[in-house]
Amino acid sequence: MTAPGGSSGAYSFSLTTFSPSGKLVQIEHALAAVAGGTTSLGIKATNGVVLATEKKSPSLLLDTSVLEKVAPICPNIGFVYSGMGPDFRVLVAKARKIAQAYWKMYGEHPPTKVLVQEVAAVMQQATQRGGVRPYGISLLIAGWDSHRGQSLYQVDPSGSYWAWKASAIGKNTVNGKTFLEKRYNDDLSLEDAIHTALLTLKEGFEGQMTEKTIEIGVVTVPTAEQMQENSGERLPPTFRKLTEQEVRDYLAL
Amino acid sequence: MNAIIQNLSTPSHLPTTEEDELKGYGNLDEMGRIKGMQIPRVPDPTAFLNLYTDSMSSNPEAKIKLAHGTTTLAFRFKGGIIVAVDSRATAGSYIASGTVKKVIEINPYLLGTMAGGAADCQYWETYLGMRCRLYELRNKERISVAAASKILSNIVYGYKGRGLSMGTMICGWDKTGPALFYVDSEGQRLKGDLFSVGSGSTFAYGVLDQGYSYDLSDEEAQELGRRSIIAAGHRDAFSGNTCNLYHVRENGWEFIGNYDVSQQWYEYEAKKKAAREAASSEMAVEV
Amino acid sequence: MEYNGGSVVAMIGKDCVAIASDLRLGQQSVGVAMNFDKVFPVNDKLYYGLPGLATDVYTLREQLRFRVNMYRMKEEREITPKTFTHLVSSTLYEKRFGPYFIEPVVAGLPSPTELDPHPKPFISTMDTIGCITTPKDFAVAGTASNKLFGVAEGLWEPDLEPEDLFETISQTLLNAVDRDALSGWGAIVHVITHDKVITRQLRARMD
Repeated sequence: MTAPGGSSGAYSFSLTTFSPSGKLVQIEHALAAVAGGTTSLGIKATNGVVLATEKKSPSLLLDTSVLEKVAPICPNIGFVYSGMGPDFRVLVAKARKIAQAYWKMYGEHPPTKVLVQEVAAVMQQATQRGGVRPYGISLLIAGWDSHRGQSLYQVDPSGSYWAWKASAIGKNTVNGKTFLEKRYNDDLSLEDAIHTALLTLKEGFEGQMTEKTIEIGVVTVPTAEQMQENSGERLPPTFRKLTEQEVRDYLAL
Repeated sequence: MNAIIQNLSTPSHLPTTEEDELKGYGNLDEMGRIKGMQIPRVPDPTAFLNLYTDSMSSNPEAKIKLAHGTTTLAFRFKGGIIVAVDSRATAGSYIASGTVKKVIEINPYLLGTMAGGAADCQYWETYLGMRCRLYELRNKERISVAAASKILSNIVYGYKGRGLSMGTMICGWDKTGPALFYVDSEGQRLKGDLFSVGSGSTFAYGVLDQGYSYDLSDEEAQELGRRSIIAAGHRDAFSGNTCNLYHVRENGWEFIGNYDVSQQWYEYEAKKKAAREAASSEMAVEV
Repeated sequence: MEYNGGSVVAMIGKDCVAIASDLRLGQQSVGVAMNFDKVFPVNDKLYYGLPGLATDVYTLREQLRFRVNMYRMKEEREITPKTFTHLVSSTLYEKRFGPYFIEPVVAGLPSPTELDPHPKPFISTMDTIGCITTPKDFAVAGTASNKLFGVAEGLWEPDLEPEDLFETISQTLLNAVDRDALSGWGAIVHVITHDKVITRQLRARMD
């Protein structure tokens, strides 16, 4: 055993014990797991949001079509993550339940911020409850709602969350963010944002970038006509994943 | 076998001929006697009638509805008898009518009030009127209120258990002076100075008891009767709409008037408010 | 329903809605109070009425107040009439096997948004366990509901201006409760327009 507060010290196992320097070491470890994960990024545009991620396959023999890293939660919200895949699936299942419970109560889908808060609360609980460990992932959450329009959030294992204009998580966070800071402006269209996302992903991408090795999800904003047509009815979904064909087309441009 | 066939083909009662029907009126024979009310020919007529009678608004499916909510009152005082009633008829919570005549003018000297089954009261009190007139013709003098009310109570007692529903007050002036009797379908008959009958009777009694005295003037007595019905009409959901007021004196009854319960209530409230304001301003001066 | 009595009606007008109730609180046949308002505001664009068992009126009102306040804080926005209707419905269905004896009526004007600049006035009703109906004309509930249906069917017409809507809903309520033994004893009307809410007490029959 080394000194207390270090990565293998007396404060490294008990989740709910602060180290003398005021840190919860397990959360730091969880963040380390995120930082080791594949890169994901999100960009908010004037008429939508794009989520993109690298889908790395450890073996050529793996059937990557079954892997899913961008997940729709409800018709207006989608997630992408960096970190541990199994933790993501658990969180997606919880988030989908939360969204359905909301729909059952209010007859409409949750606004992005509300779902983010609920999911953040779930993640925070995992830093305080006994017998559990923090989730080893960070999330990027993109959504649209009639109250706030399109929005992009990031949630960390600690349960902290932020609203971003653009963000990157995972292995290439630093480079990605630097790249995005240079490329981002306030009147980016969704098409521009998708291209920017692909360019950002390309920075430090290992291997060939194809429709098989990346995943893209987009949030579109419903038009006034769509709202009018479906006034009082269920709105068309605003979050969807791009098909492999669509991704191929974007990559070709 | 023959006995059975004969039994089936013979009606259980003899059919009345056309000629028989023409004698008398309805179910009254040529002598004015009731020929006998048709009673359902089932083993237990009472149970059978209960099935189709909605007596306490507890059986809304039933076809025979009895008007239940009512406030009626009558009291004796030195100037005669005051009779006051409301005019609401309800079927369940539905107000079927707001203009029911609940005072039955039996003859110029006798009044009957209506509570319970409207048809029962109407029919038997009209019939009572006929019997009173026959008495008058036979005896060359008017029937006493005591005798008249006893005729009624004897009739309804004969139908006890058959579902008649009436709570009535027979009011009149005879040799003994103003007389008031309560008669109901259970067979009860009471002589008294003050009665109130119906769902709103408790409210009427409240006002009546606090203002009653035998020595009331005519105006005071009329106002007390009216005020009591307004109070009951206000509080009781099944009473209201209007108040009909009658005054029985030595020479027979007089219809005093018809008063809108709601309108009267607002007037009483305005008077109360004015009195309160007058009282509080007086107090202000004293202090 | 019949224990305490009481009725509520709501109507749609041109860029306005109205909701009205009687003021009677009874105990079976006995009138107890004549100031029992059954219509409550959520905000100045959304009102709801709770005719039925008086004890449940209070309980449900507090329950809804709690949930709307939580909604407001969580979502940082006002609840819309449609969402509120769903909230009431969910709240009622939670007690599916021991219901609140209440038939709520909701009336509100949705606020215009960028995507829906001209939202339609909204009314809705539910049964005791939360089955929603959203009529395009009027909604009734309570012990005088049958009578309210009859009168409203005869008096209501489309696109009434606030003042005319006030007259229509007032006459509908007054004439309907005059045929109901368990409703009446005063009446209150709210007409909701985009710039104000007009609230008036009516002089009603008191018997």
